[in-house]
Amino acid sequence: MIKQLIVLVLLFTALSCGTDDSEYTPINNPEIALDIPLNFPTPNAALFSNAPTKYGVVLGKKLFNDTRLSIDNSISCATCHMQNHAFTDQKKQAVGVEGRIGIRNTPPIQNLAFMNFYNWDGSKLQLEKQTIVPIITHEEMDSSMLDVISKLEQDPDYLELFKNTFGDDVITSERIFESIAQFEYTLISANSKYDRVVRDHTETFTESEARGYSIFQEKCASCHSTALFTDQSFRNVGFPVNQATNEAGRARVTGLQYDYMKFRVPSLRNIAYTGPYGSFGQFASLKAVLDYFDNGVIDSDNLDPIFKANNYRIPLTEQDKIDIIAFMHTLSDSSFINP
Amino acid sequence: MKTLKKLLTLATLPLAVMSCSTDDDPVANNVTLTFNNTFENTTIVLGDASSSTATVNTSAEGQTHHFSELKYVISNIRLIKADGSEFPYHVNDLDNGAIVVNQSKPETLNFVMSDIPSDEYTKIKFGLGVKTDLNTLDEARFPNFYASAGANDTEMHWEWGTGYRFTKIEGFYDTDNKTLSVHTGSTIEGEEGSYTQGVDAYRDITLDLTTAANVGKHATTITIKADFDKLLSGKINTITLGEGNATPSTHTANNMVLYVDNLGGDGAADITGMFSITSVD
Repeated sequence: MIKQLIVLVLLFTALSCGTDDSEYTPINNPEIALDIPLNFPTPNAALFSNAPTKYGVVLGKKLFNDTRLSIDNSISCATCHMQNHAFTDQKKQAVGVEGRIGIRNTPPIQNLAFMNFYNWDGSKLQLEKQTIVPIITHEEMDSSMLDVISKLEQDPDYLELFKNTFGDDVITSERIFESIAQFEYTLISANSKYDRVVRDHTETFTESEARGYSIFQEKCASCHSTALFTDQSFRNVGFPVNQATNEAGRARVTGLQYDYMKFRVPSLRNIAYTGPYGSFGQFASLKAVLDYFDNGVIDSDNLDPIFKANNYRIPLTEQDKIDIIAFMHTLSDSSFINP
Repeated sequence: MKTLKKLLTLATLPLAVMSCSTDDDPVANNVTLTFNNTFENTTIVLGDASSSTATVNTSAEGQTHHFSELKYVISNIRLIKADGSEFPYHVNDLDNGAIVVNQSKPETLNFVMSDIPSDEYTKIKFGLGVKTDLNTLDEARFPNFYASAGANDTEMHWEWGTGYRFTKIEGFYDTDNKTLSVHTGSTIEGEEGSYTQGVDAYRDITLDLTTAANVGKHATTITIKADFDKLLSGKINTITLGEGNATPSTHTANNMVLYVDNLGGDGAADITGMFSITSVD
């Protein structure tokens, strides 16, 4: 009888949930100290709840470069976000699996820890919540998280990296998002000639760059402000409009007509590497952008007030344009694209 | 020995409870929701631009229109007893408590709810769309709903908003059959009580049952009419289709709310939207 009881008790034990049977070996996975430039704004609060760790960044980088994140194993994040172009792809609009063309220009992946909005319309406010978008979007990787997880589970390298990062080798969507975000947080670009001139005082601008900087401060810096060269606002600057049926700019997020076809002001860091320009690659070159501003932009109800107040244009001489472009080249960080 | 036997019996009891259900007539505790998608009182027949069989409707503003696709998400279903208390049916489980109603798939027009407690119910509540805390495209959590909503012939994932489409209507309007495309969904971000941006397109519907449902006595079928005449000619908004609002590109989330309120009410003065109960059998 006693035996029967023991069997019963055993049965209950088996029914009860999980155990801590595995012997626990603590893994040394220290946080990585980010080299935050003195002149940069305060980071996004999400950074502090998902601070990069030694193995989290290794894992995130491996995921970022892994084509298994796409449905047919053909593209990775890095296919469009190519480091040698400051994590862009030189295409007007991003190209996903089976050559499907997305509606927008690939955004650079740099200094994301300091951004308050992600995607050109700012639909996501934390990097950890943005990561799923390209993985499941039909025109991008067209995959599903369970597909991705089942592929990664076949790979012992991943099991070990997840264990080193999170303490056990369970692969979840959240852990994938967090580790990719951790890797992206480490992509800080702040070693341009501009930084060496203005912050470090170890170099000087050429005459043309100095003139360009001066014109830039007068005519561009009200939007392209701070050391990130964006005030992170959403504006309609009267660029040619994307006719794609599902494009409405910021308005599709906020529901406000006032935000129709507004987009996040882009950072100008590494801008020379990230053409073509505009939300769907309307402009082939920096010169084309400046010519457009000089000739006059498209008016609309919600055109930025600065353009309304200035006759719908930014008047620039040809020499101004040469000088501004020279200045914008000082925002190139070659150590960032060729680490 | 007796004590031991007693102990054993006691110990076995929880096991019995864990094992599944009883042998009452289970069908008597089923409640089936049947969705009849109409233009006023005519059940909608879908059709492409040149269709001669599609049901054509005329809006209050005199615009003819017909649909080629008609889908919407129903979730968060609650049955309300005469005393006002609610029986929630898998309200936090999209796999078992939510469906994509798809006019082109007859099997999706009936949703069978099982194991409803025997009682008399006088009202039903449900959501058009998915409430914000569940609207995350979390495949690991709700793999079945994720799969059915994301199927190639369903397309109810709103990837960029990382949530579900709540309504997807494709069709044609005016005599020259211009494209009509109405997609709705939430874009809200932040935590409940402190949303930082976006639109909440979820709508909670409350309908009085025409006669009380006596669950437990016999199987019940509640027929719910969804009158898509309301899309353009709603209780709240009268909409004229045109270049500015017929497709998602230009209707924007701003105008989207006009459609959402017509279909699902505004949650205040109108808590029925396009829905009504036609029968309880």
